Amino acid sequence: MNDSVLTPPVKEYLLAFADDEHLMGQQHTEWIGVAPFLEEDMAFASIGQDELGHALMLYTLILECPSGIDIYVFNRKSEEWRSCQLVESTHRRWEEALIRHWCYDMAEDLRWELFSDSSLPELISISERALKEETYHRRHAEALVENLLMVPDSKLRLMNALEVVVPQVLGLFSPIPGEEEAISCGVVSGKYSDLLPIWRTRLEERFGVLDSGLFIQADNENRTQRHSDFDYLFGRIREVFLLDPKAVW
Amino acid sequence: MRVYEVFLKPDGKEEFRHAGSIEAATDELALVLARENYARRAEGTHMWLVNRENICVSEEGFIDSNLDKPHRHNDGERVARWRKLQRNKKNNE
Repeated sequence: MNDSVLTPPVKEYLLAFADDEHLMGQQHTEWIGVAPFLEEDMAFASIGQDELGHALMLYTLILECPSGIDIYVFNRKSEEWRSCQLVESTHRRWEEALIRHWCYDMAEDLRWELFSDSSLPELISISERALKEETYHRRHAEALVENLLMVPDSKLRLMNALEVVVPQVLGLFSPIPGEEEAISCGVVSGKYSDLLPIWRTRLEERFGVLDSGLFIQADNENRTQRHSDFDYLFGRIREVFLLDPKAVW
Repeated sequence: MRVYEVFLKPDGKEEFRHAGSIEAATDELALVLARENYARRAEGTHMWLVNRENICVSEEGFIDSNLDKPHRHNDGERVARWRKLQRNKKNNE
């Protein structure tokens, strides 16, 4: 392990990605049994488990102590999380959950590719593995969206969902604590926020040109403040863990 | 909506085996849904989806008459019995 590179700011930077993946995975798996049709609730939850797997790989790298991950993740105070509000917010409408899945996964491969030449060899292999899965996540989201856009009622729902979700995606791309240090020591090749235009092009090629008002970045999104839905989500995550916090799983 | 039959083939010389079915609006949706529903735990290395409409199905009774043809069945039991008899005969000689 290259300890000289894994400094506290770099760890904080990687933690933001790990937390995003963890909470996105949790949000998707919440649809097991309640998605609009059986095949989809299985598929969506399965994709969520892939995201949890990515989070686990990143937490393992950051903590350098695999046995301590559960304790670390489940006992952290809310202000110690570095997730963005997009993945913290509860979307109970299926169309919003689907649009979030599309938006997040169309941004995720761009994020992983930033590590393809990392000075941390572990990150290169984690990135390669994640990118393989992400190809299918995008195909899943695309296939659903493409078909639903052909039905007027579904299209209206998806377009309305974009108005809710797109402003939250800007927070995903907002500056990440520790990013400058991570770039200067070669852990990551560039700023994630520089890739926002690529994501926006993907978005508007799929859904058409959207109201520019949706792309005005909020000032308060800095990954240190939690969305008001976070406590509910964290409660769900810890529900089983808290039955017996000392249990060995 | 279409119904597809899902076949998976494990690695190596194993054959494709029926894994179940899936309902989807298009081939692409069927593929991405079948991937997560049937192959998420590495159940196979190859997958076939067959639109159920493209399966030739024999009519009721088409093969029923083959169920009652004992003369076609050979489990080897009679031959084994005969050979055992011959063996015993030889040993007793």
